[in-house]
Amino acid sequence: MKRDDTVPYPSPVTHGSAPSTQQPRPVEPLLALRGVTKRFGGATALDGVDFELMPGEIHGLLGENGAGKSTLMKILSGFQAPDEGEMTLRGAPICFSSPAEAKAHGIGMVYQELSTIGALSVAENVFLGDQPTTRGGIINWKQMNAAAEAQLRELGVRVDVTRRLGALPLGLQQMVEIARIVFSGAEVVILDEPTSALSAPEAERLFASMRELRARGKSLIFISHFLEDVLAVADRVTILKNARRVATMPAAGLTKQRLIEMMIGRDASALAATYQEGVELPPPVEAPPVLEIEGLSIPGAVRGASLTVRAGEIVGLFGFLGSGMTEIARALFGQVQPQAGVIRLNGRPVQVHSSTQAKRLGIAYLSENRRATLFPRQEIYKNVTLAHLDHLVPPLFRRGSELGIAEQMVKRTGVRPPNPHLLAGYLSGGNQQKVVLGRWLTRQPKLLILNEPTRGMDVGAKREVLDLIKGLKAEGVAVLLLSAEPETVMTEADRILVMSKGRVTKEFASERVSKDLLMAHA
Amino acid sequence: MAKDMPQGVGTGAASVAPARPRASGWARILGWAGQRARLIAPLVTLLGLVVFFSLTTDSFFTTRNLWNGILSQYAVVAVAAAGTTFVLLCAEIDLSIAAVSLLIGVLSAYFWVTPVAGIDFGTWGVLIGLIAAALIGYMNGYFAAYIRIPSFMMTLAMSTIALGLAVWVTQGKPIFKVPDLLRTLGGTGSKIGPVPVPVIVAAVVLLVADIVLSYTKFGRYVYMTGGNCEAAEMSGVNTRQVVALCLMISGLTAGMAGMLNVGKLNGANPQPSNELLIFTIASVVLGGTSLFGGEGGIKNTLIGVLIFGCLRNGLNQVEGISIYIKQAVEGFFLVGALLLNVVALRLERIRTQAE
Repeated sequence: MKRDDTVPYPSPVTHGSAPSTQQPRPVEPLLALRGVTKRFGGATALDGVDFELMPGEIHGLLGENGAGKSTLMKILSGFQAPDEGEMTLRGAPICFSSPAEAKAHGIGMVYQELSTIGALSVAENVFLGDQPTTRGGIINWKQMNAAAEAQLRELGVRVDVTRRLGALPLGLQQMVEIARIVFSGAEVVILDEPTSALSAPEAERLFASMRELRARGKSLIFISHFLEDVLAVADRVTILKNARRVATMPAAGLTKQRLIEMMIGRDASALAATYQEGVELPPPVEAPPVLEIEGLSIPGAVRGASLTVRAGEIVGLFGFLGSGMTEIARALFGQVQPQAGVIRLNGRPVQVHSSTQAKRLGIAYLSENRRATLFPRQEIYKNVTLAHLDHLVPPLFRRGSELGIAEQMVKRTGVRPPNPHLLAGYLSGGNQQKVVLGRWLTRQPKLLILNEPTRGMDVGAKREVLDLIKGLKAEGVAVLLLSAEPETVMTEADRILVMSKGRVTKEFASERVSKDLLMAHA
Repeated sequence: MAKDMPQGVGTGAASVAPARPRASGWARILGWAGQRARLIAPLVTLLGLVVFFSLTTDSFFTTRNLWNGILSQYAVVAVAAAGTTFVLLCAEIDLSIAAVSLLIGVLSAYFWVTPVAGIDFGTWGVLIGLIAAALIGYMNGYFAAYIRIPSFMMTLAMSTIALGLAVWVTQGKPIFKVPDLLRTLGGTGSKIGPVPVPVIVAAVVLLVADIVLSYTKFGRYVYMTGGNCEAAEMSGVNTRQVVALCLMISGLTAGMAGMLNVGKLNGANPQPSNELLIFTIASVVLGGTSLFGGEGGIKNTLIGVLIFGCLRNGLNQVEGISIYIKQAVEGFFLVGALLLNVVALRLERIRTQAE
């Protein structure tokens, strides 16, 4: 597939112009899904979804977490096959059995986690796996460097292609990845949350390149939580909700508010009600602050964030990937060192250098990364008592007292089955999370930081974990609850802080909040 | 699971796999064994070897051979293996065992025969040797854990350093005088009743190591760090310190092994040899301790040393094996024993996933 091939439809938008407001395109869609359904066990991830991607358009794909975006993306890129419905490429029915097959048909993916190799040069990355060689099988550096430079220049990127990729800013690395995918023959480029880690000027540069690709007749699918970004660059948007398509419409004239309404609203009549819905936050907690953060800055992640958590208070922190919430939590647990700012614990300034020190200070942290919390090949009781071993009759501890504590904690957190001798890996996800929570409860923490504590859990387990957290609040523990799910923070928190791109953008206290309000500030 | 999942749990177990239907007697025994494959597989290997050599030779299964040929001979390996178990449990490796043991053995003999800086250390040289061993081990650990040089490379470099120092201290010449204490502890002739003293020393070291690993906070941290380093770190475990201390322990036991060896040979010869390193690592792995950390223990190591000892000792006595091919045969047997372990452990893993 050569780049200079004639585009089946004359480039509809000229470079640099505003998103297209022209009439419906008279051409056939490049890629189309009709009535696509995908089920996982009992859950329906996509329910009869239609989707058309025109040649030479930038198509925004929007929806809440769990709306079906990632499943749609996986079907398009060949990771999963639909259960029902059909997919056509240039009018011909097609079914991908692997990502490689999708790639061979000109569909390329740019993931959040770039698949470039930092130790190689820019040119090598552009040609990754397909370096031009001389007859002897040796890489033809001159040809490769020249071609890579030309390729990047077409995307509006000027960079020394012999430089090591890892030394470049993230935005440029992403461009190199896009260049590689386009160069390997992609006609459709799917971008998954490409702007979440970019600064505003970097994002602008990305948009310029996207428009450049569109001018060359490529089609782009732009998946993002950042609605402004989508509105800035997309021609059309498709909104998914609860596994169904809500609408596909031109982006021009749409507002962020309107998009949010469509993403969370059930239908037009229920929309008004949703607006009114939401939760009344309780009156402020009158207790001494346990945690105070002032002007915390972490390079590349957090810019001057401040917050307070009081004893017996649950403070919800809402934001999407790249908002910097996780970095704040990691800084509190000694995993990253802030560049500026003050952290006070019970009024005393502290500098946390390690997780061991954080534990001693009475801070407990439940990571969002489940792999970083559980020991699947160790028994439940060992998982539970790990943080408590200091208190188990040093220097030798007796199995009996250890088991006693584990049993008590297993009962309190409602782990099923309540058998501390089972390997933790046997448990379901929700029960594993209870085990990890139990580990921290053995320490009576002063400050409990929970990062996505209920993600991926079924409703019952979610409720149990949230009830446990409520119980801790009643005991006077200060809880900082991080989540990208508006429902989680809305139902549990006393106060809610919204974070976006490293800053706290809004605080809600003793007032009515609703999903759309939260998302409007994220 | 048969034992671990009492009846009556089933009602509350909605979120885990439902309890399996009652299995037949054999299946239950197999299931029980599958749960403990990490200990049972090497045990079966050991029994198999003992039976095989008892049947094929007349001299293998005799009191004298068992005490002097196997237990006493491999006591040195057992001591070094006790420390190495710590290192493998936290998913690191120590390749400096042989060199460190050589250096420490040489040092203790050197202090015995040569006054240093005008002080005649005598038997105190043994203590100095132990301190040096721990320091060398901690250096390994410090560079591996805090500076993040892979332990593989760090201990390889340390191996060269230790060898060089051993040659330098002795100027390349063997020392034939050995502290009486070491001859008592390590000599093959020294016995209490029928029991050779080196065997007692090894038993004590293994016992202490087992208690530390099974009943102390540190021991638990070792398992957890090896099982999932990131999760251990995020639970407030100082994983770097754990790794550093494990390598320190390995250095210390390597030094002790070196001293026992000096006592056994009644001399200290700065001849480089990697025998102890290979014997030790092979024994620990044969015993079923995972090279990837978190699983295994001193009981495994004990069985592993015995497997290794029986294998080498037994092969020596089987008639009709040319002395020239012996080492290769030994290697093949090793691969066979390792295969058995890997297969057994894979079965265990499949069971875990199935449930």
